[in-house]
Amino acid sequence: MRRRWFFFVGVLLFFSGLWVVGARPGELLPNEGGRETASEFLGAALRPALDFEDPEMRGSERDFIHKLGRALWLTLRYAVAAMSLALLIGLIWGVLGSRAWWSRSTLFLQTIRIGSRLLATAVRSVHELMWALLFLSAFGTSPLAAVLAMALPYGGTLAKVFSELLDESESSAAGVIRMSGGGGLAAFSVGVVTRALPDLATYALYRLECAIRSSAVLGFVGVPTLGYEIKTAYEDGHYREIWTYLYTLLAVVIFFEWWGAKVRSLLTKGVSSKKPDVRQPDVAQLWKLRGSSLFLRSSLLVVLIGGSMSWLLEDRWGAGISWEQRMRNLDRFTGEIVPYPVREADGDWGEFGPWLGEKMSEGGSEAVWQTFHLGTASILLAGVLALIGTRFAARSLASSVPRGVRDGSPAWRAILGSVLRGAAMLGRAMPEFILAFLLLRIFGPTVWALIIALAIHNGGILLRLGAEVIDNAPCRASSVILAQGGSRTSVYVGALVPAGFSRLVLFLFYRWESCIREATVLGMLGVASLGFLISDARVSFFYDEMVLWVALGAALVFFGDLTSDFVRYKLRGKNN
Amino acid sequence: MLELQSATLAYDSVFAVDSIGLEIRSGEQVCLIGPSGGGKTSLLGLMNGRLASSSGEVILNGKELKSLSGKALKTARSKIAWIPQDLGLVSNLRVNQNIACGRASEKGFFGLMRSLLLMGSREKKEVADLLKRVGIEEKIFHRVDHLSGGQKQRVAIARALYQRPEMILADEPVSSVDPERAKSLVELLTGLAREEGQTLVMSLHDIDLAKRYFDRVIGLREGRVVMDGAPDELDLTKLYDLS
Repeated sequence: MRRRWFFFVGVLLFFSGLWVVGARPGELLPNEGGRETASEFLGAALRPALDFEDPEMRGSERDFIHKLGRALWLTLRYAVAAMSLALLIGLIWGVLGSRAWWSRSTLFLQTIRIGSRLLATAVRSVHELMWALLFLSAFGTSPLAAVLAMALPYGGTLAKVFSELLDESESSAAGVIRMSGGGGLAAFSVGVVTRALPDLATYALYRLECAIRSSAVLGFVGVPTLGYEIKTAYEDGHYREIWTYLYTLLAVVIFFEWWGAKVRSLLTKGVSSKKPDVRQPDVAQLWKLRGSSLFLRSSLLVVLIGGSMSWLLEDRWGAGISWEQRMRNLDRFTGEIVPYPVREADGDWGEFGPWLGEKMSEGGSEAVWQTFHLGTASILLAGVLALIGTRFAARSLASSVPRGVRDGSPAWRAILGSVLRGAAMLGRAMPEFILAFLLLRIFGPTVWALIIALAIHNGGILLRLGAEVIDNAPCRASSVILAQGGSRTSVYVGALVPAGFSRLVLFLFYRWESCIREATVLGMLGVASLGFLISDARVSFFYDEMVLWVALGAALVFFGDLTSDFVRYKLRGKNN
Repeated sequence: MLELQSATLAYDSVFAVDSIGLEIRSGEQVCLIGPSGGGKTSLLGLMNGRLASSSGEVILNGKELKSLSGKALKTARSKIAWIPQDLGLVSNLRVNQNIACGRASEKGFFGLMRSLLLMGSREKKEVADLLKRVGIEEKIFHRVDHLSGGQKQRVAIARALYQRPEMILADEPVSSVDPERAKSLVELLTGLAREEGQTLVMSLHDIDLAKRYFDRVIGLREGRVVMDGAPDELDLTKLYDLS
């Protein structure tokens, strides 16, 4: 009954969402100009540029590959620098926010813990692109502003997830150390952090992959990363160059995904020790035969060197702007973020209420409403696509021996499964912002471009997570149904989806929160939502309005985050 | 020596341990036995100060455990090794690293970290000798999650011994293994504790093991001591409702 209600509310929210954001079915078909652009653009996919498309540029001192290499280098360097800072913030903050750290539970300590978690949630509620706009407006364009813009929300995200992981891995091992007289720090470090280490490392590597995407996207606000090159290549009509940049970005993101998966596997499963070939080996011989991974050790070395180099190799963190100039910028910015009527009334904050009411009625409320529905409709579409795709992509259903029951099916099922998993990988490797930017050029200024971009990226993530749920579902009924001649679809719909329903919904809510976050910035591409208002206020230098819209977006994401946490908490309780 | 004087542990109005008075002498091998929910785990929790009694006293070597805090409490605890039911091992660490945790109190935080990351050859040798005594010396550098259930129990025993405690408290450490393996593990732990002259207090479900390997059996039911004496005095009707 509850499942039926869930589906009913989902369908209702999807269609009402489309209605609210003004997505008309007719706009799904691009106009003639759009179709031409699409055909030119897609045609260029098979011929990515290896040199400048503009013949006049070909003779220039620096060739195209050099330009590509520099954009990629900056994308990676800013991402790694931001992640190294975010990791530091996330670790300290994550420990402070975890129950496992505070062995005593006084009201004061509880307040610090809950306060830390709420602050981390608040910081991550502001999208990195928004932080970038704030920092660039406050300090001027500089690599440091770009790095800080990513490090803050990523630090908040890491803190939130780290504290959850630390709490989940608290075990009796910590208790044993405490009970044998060991200190709290030793008990926490060995009994909690060490146990959680594979999950902490995996999540940090996943965030590094996200940071690379974010670093590329920062190019759209002027940071010279891959996104900047994609944007300028589009403005020049150089589609083949765009594809070269896109392929490079996809290859790098996919490489980092592979790396993260390999590290996770090695950290979780470990490497088996070799058997000694003598009967009574001594300790030194056993030490030589211990299971160890060169890959893991090299990875650690690469991370340490990469983290240090990302900071050391930049000699113009401040972009050559003097400290005095920077302070003048900051003074001007902090002065101008005070609402205009308050400034006019010599700091009388009584003027703030009417101004806020006016701004909300002029478009703020509508933008918040639209942003919420844009995120919700997109995640529902992504969920439906993933639910359908998982039927064919889950290995346990695509194999010729589904759920361990031989049925002699043709090989195309396995091929289709691989194709879908590959498509999902590409979908999640592509940043939503870049996808939306390109789709807007094809569909024209319609909200469908944003919905489809969000659905493709999140659908890719949900399909992967969904396939894992289905493959790992301990459902004997599925084998019985197949052995009795039932079809794979009937097993999927009748046994596996109900068995993994709570987990599937859990993942949907996890991505819903991210979708709302992304929806706040996609409006910067020119479609009505909060992002549009932010972008508009920025180009008009109305910093008070810009900060108001950013704060509203953060409040919306904060609400989504807390709702999602609450639903996931409830669902986890049901799973246990 | 450990002494409990009218020790009581109550959760709301439910008595997990109900006014228990006991004296456990140095070097004694004591088995706690009784039905599930009888208060065995709670009593062990009071004995190492993991749980604070609601009333009554738990006195270790003349000191009331509840009154201790900070360094004094750590020092008292360093003399008691604890083997919980799930063994409390860090599954993604190696056997030698888990055993090093037994001396967390003695080493301090930085010393423990040093042992975990760069264990010296002397310490490796000491751990290897200990593992030889529990019969798994060739597993010294294996990850704990690569070991069988019985081998993990031996690691937990070795960690307890490495602590050089005066007393070992073990909470049903053989509940998840087959009877044959349980017998060999109880035999091993009681034998090693006797060799070292250490006090051993172990909770068990298996009456035959209790009768065979321990000097004294304490029967618990509904948080109270219903029998306390030599194994051959064990009266099952006091422990279980056999009607």
